[in-house]
Amino acid sequence: MERKRWHLLALATVVLAALLFAACGDDDDEEPAADEPAVEVEQYPADTTPGKIQEAGEITIGVKYDVPPFGLNNPQTGEVEGFDVDLGKYIADRLGVDAEFREATSDNRIPLLVDGTIDLILSTMTITEERDLEIDFSEPYYVANGDVLVPGDSDIATLDDLNGQRVCTALGSTYADTIKKEAPDADLRLVDLYSECFDQVQTGSVDAVSTDNVILTGMVIQDDTLELLGLDYTTEPYGIGLPDGDTEMKGFVDEAVAEFIDSGAWQETYDEWVGQHLSEEQQQGPPDVTLEEALKLFPLEK
Amino acid sequence: MSELWEVLTEHLPEFSSGLWVTVRLVAIAFVIAMVVGTLVAAMRIAPNRWLNRAGGIYVETFRNVPLLVLLIIAFSGFPRAGVSVSQWVAGMACLGLYTAAYIAEALRSGVFAVGKGQVEAALSLGLTYPRTMRRIILPQAFRTVIPALGSLIIAMIKNSAIVGGSLVALPDLLKKTREVQADTAQPDEVYFWGAVGFLLMTVTVTLVFRYLESRFSIRR
Repeated sequence: MERKRWHLLALATVVLAALLFAACGDDDDEEPAADEPAVEVEQYPADTTPGKIQEAGEITIGVKYDVPPFGLNNPQTGEVEGFDVDLGKYIADRLGVDAEFREATSDNRIPLLVDGTIDLILSTMTITEERDLEIDFSEPYYVANGDVLVPGDSDIATLDDLNGQRVCTALGSTYADTIKKEAPDADLRLVDLYSECFDQVQTGSVDAVSTDNVILTGMVIQDDTLELLGLDYTTEPYGIGLPDGDTEMKGFVDEAVAEFIDSGAWQETYDEWVGQHLSEEQQQGPPDVTLEEALKLFPLEK
Repeated sequence: MSELWEVLTEHLPEFSSGLWVTVRLVAIAFVIAMVVGTLVAAMRIAPNRWLNRAGGIYVETFRNVPLLVLLIIAFSGFPRAGVSVSQWVAGMACLGLYTAAYIAEALRSGVFAVGKGQVEAALSLGLTYPRTMRRIILPQAFRTVIPALGSLIIAMIKNSAIVGGSLVALPDLLKKTREVQADTAQPDEVYFWGAVGFLLMTVTVTLVFRYLESRFSIRR
């Protein structure tokens, strides 16, 4: 009897070890595919951040993993995909390096950038003055609007109706503050991930989700019993998060964003991820605000 | 240094509301854990095979499933099955029932620490089995496990942070601390005060249990 148990234990250990090895083995196959046509690559001096990234041959970009259509770790393919991801790949191509994506949530993206774990934030991040104190922003690359998502049979129709209701948004997002101001009596649920809001509005654990319309559109694509109110109550220009005071990096990224927009790559990417899911009148063009104007939309308090 | 105080004075309402949520959560979960834990321990040592097994299944289920998974089942799984569960019920029930499994095991070990001879003596003196348990065994078992219970409650206070960090998103001390951090972008100062909040609770429990130990434990 005693001996049989030892055999079982040994077997369990072997199985576990085998599983671990199998899991590790999978990672090796995930080399980023370099199928994009080569663009002209400018070499940057070795003492600048873009130069250092070129030397390392890899740029690490923090994106959302649960926010289709901007950043989604697609469970079917195992690849990260979306608008932010494509812009990230575009920037990597301009440096001639591989793009390595890491999950960056609303709450942890700035610490990840500040401690150097990631080189850029491309994580549906609204430009605000408060965030600008810690990091730098690129010129806006997308303009989202604040909206509210409710189940199809909900009575909520205005911002005011959110008072007394359970409203979900992400910790560390601009909406945590906005909702406190717009609907002070709402029962605010602050979670780490928008996918948790999605889950909760589906199961009825919350009455509404409020955040950028593009994020909410992604939820409607997944579940068409949900409904957008179309309130557009805030304007949220997205910027790429850069290390504070790194002028060379900012110069390079701003140039890349401008070219992304001017070359028509922006429109292509927009159509692929966002545009095709929207009606004609909901379509929008590239951002028409500058970084300076964007910062004024979310000024520092006090 | 002045910044450290400024963060506390300016955000005291957030910190204290978070602390209060955690205190209530832990207090109610503790009551659930003690009641359920004692019942399960009694089942596991009862002279009945089926009760033993039922108790065993409880302990193995709740001890072998991560607390986070319990919370997801309660707050996402149950609503999907048509049973709506509130934030508080999910948080208290999961934390309480999870800790109950550990408390049951601690109590059981305490009972086993009381010599079998005492049970035999009590029974042969004519005490019924429940009476033997209540008057002879459990009082001794409880004092043996006082230090273990203290550790379990401290673990529960710390585990309570998982309730706020999970999708349940109860606005507990850690969640409020993170909210303040998202507002102020001063992680060093903000998390310092969050840690102080947790220390206030764990140190209080430590002191209470130190007193209980000196008051009730068996001197050796």
